[in-house]
Amino acid sequence: TWRRVYWAVLVYLACVILAAYWFTRAYR
Amino acid sequence: MRFVQAYFGLPIAMVVICATVVPVFYRARVYTAYEYLENRFDAKTRSLASVIFLCQRGLSAGLTIYAPAIVLSVILGWPERATTMLMGMVVVTYTVIGGIKAVTWSDVQQMVVIVLGLLVALVTVIVMLPHAVSFGDAVYLAGAAGRLNAVTTNFNWNDRFNIWSGLIGSTFLFLSYFGCDQSQVQRYLTGRSLAESRIGLLCNAVAKIPMQFFILFIGAMVFVFYVFVEPPVLFQHTELQRIAQVSEYSGVETRYHEAFERRRDAALSLAEAHRAGDKAAHAHGLAEYRGAQQSLDAARTDAARLVEANGGEPGFSDTNYIFLSFVTRYLPAGLVGLVIAVIMAATMSASAGEINSLATVSVVDIYRRHFRRGASDHHYLLASRWATVFWGVYAVAFAGWGKKLGSLIVAVNVVGSLFYGSLLGCFVVAFAFKRVGGTAVFLGMLAGELAIFSVFLHGGISYLWFNVIGCVVVVGVSLALTWAAPGVFAKARVDERV
Repeated sequence: TWRRVYWAVLVYLACVILAAYWFTRAYR
Repeated sequence: MRFVQAYFGLPIAMVVICATVVPVFYRARVYTAYEYLENRFDAKTRSLASVIFLCQRGLSAGLTIYAPAIVLSVILGWPERATTMLMGMVVVTYTVIGGIKAVTWSDVQQMVVIVLGLLVALVTVIVMLPHAVSFGDAVYLAGAAGRLNAVTTNFNWNDRFNIWSGLIGSTFLFLSYFGCDQSQVQRYLTGRSLAESRIGLLCNAVAKIPMQFFILFIGAMVFVFYVFVEPPVLFQHTELQRIAQVSEYSGVETRYHEAFERRRDAALSLAEAHRAGDKAAHAHGLAEYRGAQQSLDAARTDAARLVEANGGEPGFSDTNYIFLSFVTRYLPAGLVGLVIAVIMAATMSASAGEINSLATVSVVDIYRRHFRRGASDHHYLLASRWATVFWGVYAVAFAGWGKKLGSLIVAVNVVGSLFYGSLLGCFVVAFAFKRVGGTAVFLGMLAGELAIFSVFLHGGISYLWFNVIGCVVVVGVSLALTWAAPGVFAKARVDERV
């Protein structure tokens, strides 16, 4: 049952990194 | 802002720990991480892990004592050496007489007040900006000065924070911290159920990066605040007072003041050009703004050199004083007192708890096992009190050295990285390679520590990678020894339960 939770956390991490990358590019 | 990358490995580490480490600890029916090592390997491996824990936690306790010492230094205007000694004596005294609870607030109350203080700091910055500068302009000006580089993709071993050290190095750091450090392991081993322990760890994984981003963003906004309100040349008031008498200081101060005015004017025209979409004015304003920033940084560097040349410590840095100076000077009066009281309570109870746990592990895992078996309870109580005094002195002695590692939050991570890698390697061998015996992993851990300290002293590789190096060396040496001489190093009987 935990497999989906783990994948959700990893997808969340990918989204956070993409958002941080966009933020860096936008305000460079 | 680049420091946020040091948390990119946290969610990965939490998923791995929830999927593998937590069930193993629960199934092994242990209450400490090191008890598990004794079941899996032998007593000497447990003792070595305990000694590594003591070294690492003792150094961390020094940094925990240093935090309230900085607060006292800012409030009272005393030199930080004096306030560090004072804090060390106070913490050791009330730990010895058993008064930890007297300074302990609940974690939730502390967190609420600190977050409230941070929010008020952000609002204060925005309210005190000049009328011509909007919040959007402030964010733009922080970015133009290079203060919002949240992600850097260049790979460089010696660069502390980039996406690679964040995703790989910090994954190993957090695997060690949450998988091998008893202060964290005890939190989920005493959870009500396996599911509750996992939920706690995963909530931490999800919340930590946005929270850290928010804190660093406030720091960037404080930078913009000081673009329009002239800050002192150095934020450490006691050192600034000392060099103010030196003849070269007036020249540094004049250059600093001129650079500040140039930067402020350039920032105003840059924000206006950015809003108007005037490309030529924007390019000119940006060059002027960045040039003035470099002149300002150069003047601050010269002031720091003056401190070093006039009796200050080598490697002087006032990084830890910047935000605290802002809080004490510009936040509403009642809130400043509340925030400082909470910081003092949190750091003092944390350092008392750390020194208490150091004394307990010293007596239970080292003294009672290897030096004095079967003595009376009164004897061990006295030994524990002397151990408390020893670790208090050890922590205070280290506090002065720790600040040279960078800002406090970075220094804590550097100190952890010096020891966590080999501990993690030991647990990886324990979980994944059931044939490896205690002597092989014991020698592997010694080799791992040797490798980490060699890299640390040689330089050229930043601290997040220490965790990877330590872990790989421990696993490699343990497996190589077991493969080369299985009769000596392999376990005679494999117990699948541990």
